[in-house]
Amino acid sequence: MKEEDTQDLLDLASELRWEVGENFHDTLVEGIYTDAAQIAQKTEIKQGEPNPYSFERKLDQVLTSKKYGFPIMILILSIILWLTIQGANYPSALLASFFLEFLHPILKTGASQVDLPWWLDGFLIDGVYLALGWVISVMLPPMAIFFPMFTLLEDFGYLPRVAFNLDSLFKKSGAHGKQALTMSMGWGCNAAGVVATRIIDSPRERLIAIITNNFSLCNGRWPTQILIATIFIGALVPDGFSSILASIAVIGVALLGVGFTFFSSWMLSKTLLKGEVSTFALELPPYRPPNLWTTLYTSLIDRTLIVLWRAMVFAAPAGAVIWLISNIYVGDLSLANITIDWMDGFGLFFGLNGVILLAYVVAIPANEIVIPTILMLTVAHLNLMGAGDGVMFELESTTETAALLHAGGWTLLTGINLMLFSLLHNPCSTTIYTIYQETKSWKWTVFASIMPVILGFLVTFLVTQIWQVFH
Amino acid sequence: MILLNQGYVLLFFATLLVVFFILKKYQYSLRSLLPFKYIEKSITEDLLKQLYHVTSSQKTTDFKMLSGALKIPERKILKVVESMTQKGLILISDSHVTLTETGKNYALSIIRIHRLWEKYLSEKTGFDKSLWHDLAETKEHQLSEEETEALYEELGRPRFDPHGDPIPTALGEMISETGTSIVGIPKGTVAKIIHIEDEPKSIYRQIIKEKLHIGAHVKILTSENHHVIFESEGHSIQLSTVVASNIQVVLLNSQEVYEEGKVRLSSLIEGEHATILGISTECRGANRRRLLDLGFIKGTLLTLEYMGPNQNPRAYRLRNTLIALRNDQADFILIEKPQYDRTGSL
Repeated sequence: MKEEDTQDLLDLASELRWEVGENFHDTLVEGIYTDAAQIAQKTEIKQGEPNPYSFERKLDQVLTSKKYGFPIMILILSIILWLTIQGANYPSALLASFFLEFLHPILKTGASQVDLPWWLDGFLIDGVYLALGWVISVMLPPMAIFFPMFTLLEDFGYLPRVAFNLDSLFKKSGAHGKQALTMSMGWGCNAAGVVATRIIDSPRERLIAIITNNFSLCNGRWPTQILIATIFIGALVPDGFSSILASIAVIGVALLGVGFTFFSSWMLSKTLLKGEVSTFALELPPYRPPNLWTTLYTSLIDRTLIVLWRAMVFAAPAGAVIWLISNIYVGDLSLANITIDWMDGFGLFFGLNGVILLAYVVAIPANEIVIPTILMLTVAHLNLMGAGDGVMFELESTTETAALLHAGGWTLLTGINLMLFSLLHNPCSTTIYTIYQETKSWKWTVFASIMPVILGFLVTFLVTQIWQVFH
Repeated sequence: MILLNQGYVLLFFATLLVVFFILKKYQYSLRSLLPFKYIEKSITEDLLKQLYHVTSSQKTTDFKMLSGALKIPERKILKVVESMTQKGLILISDSHVTLTETGKNYALSIIRIHRLWEKYLSEKTGFDKSLWHDLAETKEHQLSEEETEALYEELGRPRFDPHGDPIPTALGEMISETGTSIVGIPKGTVAKIIHIEDEPKSIYRQIIKEKLHIGAHVKILTSENHHVIFESEGHSIQLSTVVASNIQVVLLNSQEVYEEGKVRLSSLIEGEHATILGISTECRGANRRRLLDLGFIKGTLLTLEYMGPNQNPRAYRLRNTLIALRNDQADFILIEKPQYDRTGSL
């Protein structure tokens, strides 16, 4: 072919492209899809008329009905949370007494018998070992109860129906119905909740779910909430009512977290994330009897143990740091005391104090060790006799803890603000690491870590302001 | 102790917030406050575009009108015009301004970037369509020639932007628009929408609220002096003449049939069956692929199984699978209910 002919042909092609219109590619592709579907339909042999849906259909009609859909959902979720919190108490106490009361003294004795230098003994056993023991005993039981139950519901096919029922609510804040599931998963553990966002296939909604998962009160924070609510809020009313009021306060904080999830989802979808691609699709798989053993195995190995392992990896150095700052002295004061004094003014400005802030800094690896760290730091700061410098501990009774905290200058305002700050602060380092793993973006990891802290300071600041108006 | 008066802190943040919102709201008009050298390029390009549109609609313009259209003070316009004349982009005779050949090609290259960027926003991002124009308005001054060509390749060499406007080729070729306004077409005519003008924004918003889109078939029901009523995808729509004149249509060609029974999936009621006719062109990019992947393909039978507690999303059964779709997605899927089923295969 001559060069001119080629050029003519190309010109003609270019001209014709104007005429075939905008979407001839799509039409072509869809034509192929349609043909394939028709060929498949013709050649596919169906055995018998498929009508196994009658039971399923009835179940769906109940579970997604206007009348019963929401009550059933709330009931099931409350049962799971109650079983987790109550059921975890006994194994947690058992593990704690084994690791902290039984094994710890043995290790100490062993260390002194082999003449380990005091600093190595303290660093390894009082620092690293105690932090690990604490994390395992507080974290393992609730996860081992919560995740299997959750996985069973998932396997049965109920969870997609929950997403279906709640989607219209989440849609209002620009999120996906499946975020209901990752949010409830976050009540077990935020890191697991972040991993669970893989079920959301729309990029924008998935990022929203990842960033806001931290507003779900995870099981490392429930004990803090319950303890502080009992000491400071329960004490406001006569003994008989105190546990009720304390529970209401804790549930209130958890619901506030849900509120913040919706609010920040809405803000994100309207501002930072409005350019991300957003699609929706929700498959409602058929119901099937869950496979108990497989479920137990996968939820224990895949979810519980992996998360626990990550938490341990991060908690070990935290334990070391906690011990070190309490045992390294500059002049007359330990590093911990210097930092506490330095941060106190800043803390009080937000209705918190230096001890709380320092505890949250060193306890980034695990929310579980916040309370033991606070107690240890308070004792060290007041120069009282605790378990020893840099040794975390918990007191036998709530009354003793209350007395210690009051001695540390805590008021009702400090209690309320600690509860709020425990809800609104940076995710633990396991979660931060998981967010990076899932998003592969430093930008979103940093944003998801910083945003809640800023919100936390803002809220505690406002509460403090309002408080000061009335006092 | 940190000594901070808490009242001042609050005041400081409040001021920051107010300043931020003012800047955001008036960022376009405020651009004329920037030093001249930073805004010369964008003013030049906006002027060229404006002149191109004025010329192609066979009108004339003067500096006052240009100043008003671009929201830039006249003295700045004059300054830019001076340097544009020196560069040979425009000619001035009396107070009339005309484009030279170089100027016209420059204008077309800017229009090319603008329309390609709108195409990009529609295919690859989640920005709402009411934002496309403004975003492209900024981007058109920023993309280099190489970046534009890379974008063109990435998008699969598109010829039309999402509003149905032709995208000029790199050589500056472009077909002229052939559609006629939907206003003034006699009653009973069937036609296809080929262009929806995205400016002015208030009118564009009214059109997209009716979920009208390019490629949709329309049938004129009444055409009066002050309003037009027409049917599209099973909905009867009434628009005032001002609004409707921003919609351009062409008559259906010989291969296209007006599908009388073509309605939106969202009109299906519980337990009803239907056959899918296709997905509207308004559903683009990832959303479109998603629906195709799920099997929402022409010729597929589906049933509305149940509505859920809020009527949104709704669960549809197709190919023995239950899939929930939101109602705004169901608006994109066009179906035919059995009474219109010509093949009678149900």
